[in-house]
Amino acid sequence: MTNLIANSLSFSYGEESVLKDISLELQAGTLTALVGPNGAGKSTLLRLLQGQSLPHRGEIFLDKIPLRKNRHTVALMPQRSSINWDFPITVEELVALGQINIAKQSCCEIEASLQRVGLSALAKKRLDALSGGQQQRALLAKTLAQNASIFLLDEPCAALDPPSRVQFLSIIRQLADAGLTVMVSSHDWGQALNAYDKVITLDQTVLAFGTPEEVRSKLESINSMGNHCCG
Amino acid sequence: MSLLVGILCPATGSVLITHRRLLQANLISHAVVPGIILALSIGIDPALGGVLSGLIGALVAERLALTRNGENEAVINTVLAGTLGLGVLLIPLLNIRVNLESILFGDLLSVGPNDLIRTLLAAIALLFLLKTSYQKLVFLGLDPEGAAASGLNVSSLRLALGFVTALVVVSSMAAVGVVLVIGLLSAPALFGLYQAPSLRSAMIRSSGFGIIFSFVGFFLAIVLNLSPGALIGVLCLLSLPCLRVKKLMN
Repeated sequence: MTNLIANSLSFSYGEESVLKDISLELQAGTLTALVGPNGAGKSTLLRLLQGQSLPHRGEIFLDKIPLRKNRHTVALMPQRSSINWDFPITVEELVALGQINIAKQSCCEIEASLQRVGLSALAKKRLDALSGGQQQRALLAKTLAQNASIFLLDEPCAALDPPSRVQFLSIIRQLADAGLTVMVSSHDWGQALNAYDKVITLDQTVLAFGTPEEVRSKLESINSMGNHCCG
Repeated sequence: MSLLVGILCPATGSVLITHRRLLQANLISHAVVPGIILALSIGIDPALGGVLSGLIGALVAERLALTRNGENEAVINTVLAGTLGLGVLLIPLLNIRVNLESILFGDLLSVGPNDLIRTLLAAIALLFLLKTSYQKLVFLGLDPEGAAASGLNVSSLRLALGFVTALVVVSSMAAVGVVLVIGLLSAPALFGLYQAPSLRSAMIRSSGFGIIFSFVGFFLAIVLNLSPGALIGVLCLLSLPCLRVKKLMN
């Protein structure tokens, strides 16, 4: 059970400011949506929260301990586009990569991660033989195998059909209910945000943060930004 | 010797193809030439010079790399042409007698015990890399950004892969030549990779196909009294339609 607190984060690529004065809190056992348009800085924020990049200003704490001393507690599931889907690898072997930094890799952990996403029966299948939804679940299982307590998922529902989105959202809801902290980024907006406990709307800075109802009331224009969503 | 090259090149090629670094391997295969010429001129083992200059060529290309993929390919090809040109120019400039054709396209008659030792050393280097870093290589090939984020030393791993590639290229010099070796790195590996469940399995299958390519190439070379490197290159080309038919049938 870990809480993540980010205070006044700022980040820029050269002269171009990407994130300004971001403060947020992720509480243990909550499912949070990070929404915003393309170029809002969602992926950059996730990389900061995972410790891949360092903020130019601000600090991140995990239960009052600086993130840099506790990076293994946070796991990031990458976007689809960063994966080489032609690579010859089985689902089981992919999930084992989640434990690459763990001295003694456990087949039980790998099997448990596969069971959590409902892919045990496909463990020996080649990754590129799976459907898009199954591939995303396999990536999630790899992320879960890292034994972290905070999971950041970068646009996991992009390119998934509606039934696969519903199934994916159902799995991550179960993870949150089991006490894990999950944040999901998406550039889609809509009624299905109700499935999340908290919503953060981002466009270089935090526009709104709270329950879906609170965020809607803060952002009058939310409906004009489209009606599609993860889930 | 030819069978060993037939095992080694496709196994290495499988890793290079899955890591999308075959163009870098082609660069290394051309960049070894100036090192080989220089080594011959000062009387040291040509393999040593070849491996060093192959690696330097790859590092120069990485240093000069631009942000866009297409531009990067242009940089790599420019370094490739430049290093090969440098090698050709060094021959008259250093006033040495070298059979350039045998370096580029192989000369089975010139194969000696040293070539066998080089090939064995290259095989040991590849096995060592796989033994110590197989899972890291898989991670790097699947998700380079994620691998770097997990703390994996991507630069060192790529340098190690470049070193093994340079060793494999130089060790294949006598058998197929440094230019034609790219055929053995590619075609059998394409067959091996097809529907392989893992990189390990792809490497084993590729080596099997490599043995067939080498055996047929060298057998025909002896029977027809032709260059084995050139024959293997042509066999690799002729095999591609078979792979396409195989894919269409599935």
